[in-house]
Amino acid sequence: MFDRQAFIDNILDHYEHPRHRGALDDATVTIKGGNPGCGDIITAYLKLDGEDRIADVSFEGEGCTISQASASILSEQIIGKSLSEVTAMDHEAFIEDLGREVVINRLRCATLALNTVKAAERKLLAQRAEAANHTSEIAARADDEVLTF
Amino acid sequence: MSAQPQLQTKAYAHPESLVTTEWVADHLSDPGVRIVESNEDIMLYDQGHIPGAVQIDWVGDLNDKIRRDYLDRKSFAALMSKYGIGNDTTVVFYGDKNNWWATYAFWVFQLFGHTNAKIMDGGRKKWIDEARDVTKDKPTYTATEYKAPERADYKIRAFRDQVMAHIGTGQPLVDVRSPREFSGELLHMEAYPNEGALRGGHIPGARSVPWAQAVNEDGTFKSAEDLRAIYEGREGLNPDQNVITYCRIGERSSHTWFVLHYLLGYPNVRNYDGSWTEWGNLVGAPIEK
Repeated sequence: MFDRQAFIDNILDHYEHPRHRGALDDATVTIKGGNPGCGDIITAYLKLDGEDRIADVSFEGEGCTISQASASILSEQIIGKSLSEVTAMDHEAFIEDLGREVVINRLRCATLALNTVKAAERKLLAQRAEAANHTSEIAARADDEVLTF
Repeated sequence: MSAQPQLQTKAYAHPESLVTTEWVADHLSDPGVRIVESNEDIMLYDQGHIPGAVQIDWVGDLNDKIRRDYLDRKSFAALMSKYGIGNDTTVVFYGDKNNWWATYAFWVFQLFGHTNAKIMDGGRKKWIDEARDVTKDKPTYTATEYKAPERADYKIRAFRDQVMAHIGTGQPLVDVRSPREFSGELLHMEAYPNEGALRGGHIPGARSVPWAQAVNEDGTFKSAEDLRAIYEGREGLNPDQNVITYCRIGERSSHTWFVLHYLLGYPNVRNYDGSWTEWGNLVGAPIEK
């Protein structure tokens, strides 16, 4: 698809002009993830439709270029997917989309946003269990908790 | 090395270990000088770097690919050759985060005895703030026949058993992490996620001197007088001591290692790169909170 420089340009474009950046006030699920290596933090806001498909998504965060750009790139891939489909997304395919050669030394940065949204399905289940007053083995995660990947 | 008044006034023990941004600008075409950028954010280099600079990445270039360790002699020689660095090339490091990773790379180079190395005072930020030239062009250099010795881990690197022995000697340890990491309140840097340490606190007897106290707002190192006021006046260190610095993985502490050894002239300073990500996970290791 791209040569190395084109992958770099694509990442820099998403870093400098991030898509779906900001908070979603009416998000169904909000979840945070972090990568200690570069100090990256991502907050993903997912708004689901009546069929539990992602109607809208946004990201906030701070950290290195790859972590923030990959959130932007991911945001263009997941609208319309169900959380189960997101959970099933393939790390390797996403790394190829980013440009494996470019991100090879920062794979945790590159997959931070993906890992964060992959955890959203469990969080949604926990939220619903809590809302229904069901006992859940998975405690609902507080919005400010940062999952480490 | 031409006179650099900005550095001379700071009265360092080894002023030859630093160069100014101006000096670098004057040596961009000097074949005996190689500029090396080392960053936490690996893609800053792609966004623009000092003309002629190469990038050396602490993950991809300096770490062993399998073990938690540094590259070996053969890999170091290959890296030097790739970037056209000869044994007599002057290597000037600069980078983001006030030169954390630049001093880290500098420290690794010293494990291989490449003493003709310097840090650009103020790092990437100062170069950019001064609106100096940057380019996205990636240079290529003729390969060299670099002769690398075996890595010398005994002089400037400390291992956990040595740290354990050090605790009982009364010699100082300098913990350069943030106060909340030192106290054990946080298991990681402020605004960073948990690195994976299971216990919080610090190595018994360590002094808390966050690394950033050694730099000015513009990213340059403080003067020797100001540094002595911190490390000697306030913390009671002196150059006769055997000092070990540490942080989470050895990057911030390489910065303080550089300050104590090169700027203040302490002859015996070692960087414990295992740092808190090792100590905070060691079964039975003593911890103070």
